[in-house]
Amino acid sequence: MQRTAILGAIGLLAVAAVSSCTTPARHSPQSLNLFAWSEYVPWSVIDGFTRETGIAVNYETYASNEEMLAKLISGAQRYDLIQPSEYTAEALIKERRLMPIDWSKVPNIRNVGAQYQHLRHDPDQQYTVPWMVGSVGIVVNTAKVADDIKGYADVFREPHKGRIVVINDPREIVSWALATIGKDPNDVTPETLAQIEPLLRRWLPLVKVYDSDSPKTALLNGDVDLGIVWSGEAALLYRENPRFRYILPAEGAHQFIDSLAIPANAANPDAAMAFMNYILRPEVSRLISAEFPYTNPNLEARKLLSAAELANPASYPPGDPRLVTFGDIGPSAVQIDKLVTDLKAAS
Amino acid sequence: MRTTATAFAAPVGPSRPPTPTAWLLIAPLVLWVAVFVVAPTLIMLVYSVSTRGTLGGVVFGFTLENYAALLDRTYLYIIVRSIGFAAITTAICLLAAYPAAYRIGRAAERWRHRLLMLVMIPFWTSFLIRTYAWVTILKNEGPLNGLLVHYGLIGEPLELLYTSGAVVLGLVYTFLPFMILPIYASVEKLDPALVEAALDLGAAPLRAFWKVIVPLTAPGIRAGVLLVFIPALGIYAVNDILGGGRVDMIGNIIENQFKGTARNWPFGSALAVVLILAFALAFWLTSAQEAAEHRGAEEPAVTVP
Amino acid sequence: MPGRGAVVKQINRLLTLWTGLVLGFFYLPLAVLIGFSFNRSRLNIVWEGFTLDWYAAIWRDPVLVDALVNSLIVAVVTTALSVVLGTGGAWILYRYRFPGARVLQTLAFTPMIIPEVIIGVSLLILFVTVHLELGYATIIISHVTFCFPFAMIAVQARLAGLDPALEESALDLGATPARAFRDVLVPFLAPAIIAGALMSFTLSLDELIVTYFTASASTRTLPLEIFGRIKKGLDPTLNAISTVFIVSTVGLVLAGELLRRRSR
Repeated sequence: MQRTAILGAIGLLAVAAVSSCTTPARHSPQSLNLFAWSEYVPWSVIDGFTRETGIAVNYETYASNEEMLAKLISGAQRYDLIQPSEYTAEALIKERRLMPIDWSKVPNIRNVGAQYQHLRHDPDQQYTVPWMVGSVGIVVNTAKVADDIKGYADVFREPHKGRIVVINDPREIVSWALATIGKDPNDVTPETLAQIEPLLRRWLPLVKVYDSDSPKTALLNGDVDLGIVWSGEAALLYRENPRFRYILPAEGAHQFIDSLAIPANAANPDAAMAFMNYILRPEVSRLISAEFPYTNPNLEARKLLSAAELANPASYPPGDPRLVTFGDIGPSAVQIDKLVTDLKAAS
Repeated sequence: MRTTATAFAAPVGPSRPPTPTAWLLIAPLVLWVAVFVVAPTLIMLVYSVSTRGTLGGVVFGFTLENYAALLDRTYLYIIVRSIGFAAITTAICLLAAYPAAYRIGRAAERWRHRLLMLVMIPFWTSFLIRTYAWVTILKNEGPLNGLLVHYGLIGEPLELLYTSGAVVLGLVYTFLPFMILPIYASVEKLDPALVEAALDLGAAPLRAFWKVIVPLTAPGIRAGVLLVFIPALGIYAVNDILGGGRVDMIGNIIENQFKGTARNWPFGSALAVVLILAFALAFWLTSAQEAAEHRGAEEPAVTVP
Repeated sequence: MPGRGAVVKQINRLLTLWTGLVLGFFYLPLAVLIGFSFNRSRLNIVWEGFTLDWYAAIWRDPVLVDALVNSLIVAVVTTALSVVLGTGGAWILYRYRFPGARVLQTLAFTPMIIPEVIIGVSLLILFVTVHLELGYATIIISHVTFCFPFAMIAVQARLAGLDPALEESALDLGATPARAFRDVLVPFLAPAIIAGALMSFTLSLDELIVTYFTASASTRTLPLEIFGRIKKGLDPTLNAISTVFIVSTVGLVLAGELLRRRSR
């Protein structure tokens, strides 16, 4: 047993020595600290950037905006690029945590559609470069569900009891209820929360699975028949089997915009802006679309997409849907969390 | 040989005050605990009385509102439910682990280590993949239901997944090795002659087991209970996946404050502080009681400083 | 006593059967994991056909291999430190009586109860305050902090049954306390030390949340990598690399046994 351990340890050290040669470079003048969603930046894009500019990229990842904020505000690392969702970007801008972008260094911003710029989270389009756009909508396994689902109210009906999956995001859940009673999803006050409580009290016991990480699992497994999920998940489901249709709810849906932004204390803002300009090139942006079938805000890149990609209704929903971005709601987030926790425990 | 030795109290052998060299040994432990346990706990304590920052984090101050917020029916219900799950898991683990640990501990020497490795190897794969494997096994269209339906035991697939039962299954699966190992370590040192003697003295095997073997392996049992129950209280991932996100536990509530919508670090810290205090109190009291028993058994007339 | 012997034998057989069942229980998800590593479907949810592509994919994925190596390095060092701290701690609390011993013990066990996200955040703040850069050191420190209580508890349980005469006689025969410790006590404690080491290794290898907070971009571990890929779908490359790891571990152990047998 002892000898095995020693052999094993030596073997490990050898492997470690070899592998450390491939470990990315530490932060130096010619390196970029990228802090982004896991699996949201293709390695082909990163490698391409490094090859062209010689700037090494240290890619650190997170799985939620709040995780990103936790590490960002701790000050443990100085990041050059982060990838906040729109309501997080709004909060960061309010708190003066982002560096304004020198657009002369990022001229490719003109490739981004006008409808994705100057939105409420960054009205002067000063701090963010849109990365990917998506929505939160209804996905239906048409092989199992015959009814015509048009909105949230159609999803949360008794016949679907125990056959529904939703993302485990209290803010989202509350926004669906608010939209159903005709309110703006950003209108979160104790009064509006009290107004939607009876509705949620009816809805939540019908849910079988809450899953923000991989809601497609339950759908593919056949444990649930319909749900409310991210459009990217729906697009992956559609690619897997076209019987999974994506529908944007008639009451209104959340359109999220993930953007690249530069923290105010970035060490390498020039490298950051170079990266921003790089990914805005149509041929680079289409690489991102190929791996992550969200809605690409880069209209020039869309011209390079295949017909199949553009036909995916989850990536590029047809029609003229009612889409709303989320704003920063501050301390009301606590009440949302409490409401959903209460109702989940009661159901 | 002591038969009532415990694992809660520091087993007090012929203990004496430390020699100077002994202090050199004690120092690293004290240092480690002071820096990496005490300091972070104090940080958390400070956070628990602060207010929520806009981006997460805290705004320093002093308020007890976070502790007050805990006195809520929902949170109390969740705490009780967590304790319940942890207790059931520990009980099942104990019953399931003991026979196996006993068998492994009494196996031929060359087999013991192999068996231990066999026990641990599945847990060197990613927890996520393992748990999703259970999702695959338990799902409606999965092999378990498939087998049951095929052999006519049930007509329709059972809803096994996304239930409390699935959560308990996942918890038992996760913690069973941590019950087996300490019990094994206790069983392994059992003198075979002692076991023989117990059986020879005319006791039915069950009585021999209960009256002789179990008390001798009590330290291992108590260690196992500790190593399962305590971490099980803080569980969040197993129940999240196998319970369909419907079975929130203490761990989930705390996690949500840091990684979810609420961005309420002070509240999460407060709940954690309560959890730690409850544990520390329980631990302290039980070890005080056991230590007193010890000193009573060893040196009846000595006063304790 | 033929009757008694038969009963004992039957009990033994039942116990062996039970142990087999428990092991079967442990390996059930592993079977699924290994099976799916040959699954043609990328989404790893339904079986679609046999392929070895994912094993090939491992070599094209330096990030994943790097993460696995990092995890192993961290786990091995964590285990070593945890065993030392745990065994040493258990021994100190056993042998010596000093003020604050019980406080020390309670504090040492506290990380078992502290939720991982709290350990992660508070240690992160600590490291930032003392300007300790995130990397291997910080990950290992955080892992050791909640792993060594497991080792300590295992060794303490074993010490509870220690016959004091054992050490006394060694000392009587002229051994120094250090030698008595090494030659008498460590062998006695070996099963508990091994148990503690196995638990520490397992805990460290699969640690996710604390590692998120205390790792840097260049020190990603396997659980971080795997969790990151879950949104796209846990593709079978992850199953493949897990299978490779298991097979290599078993291979190493078998190799070690062969060596030991040959050296006899």
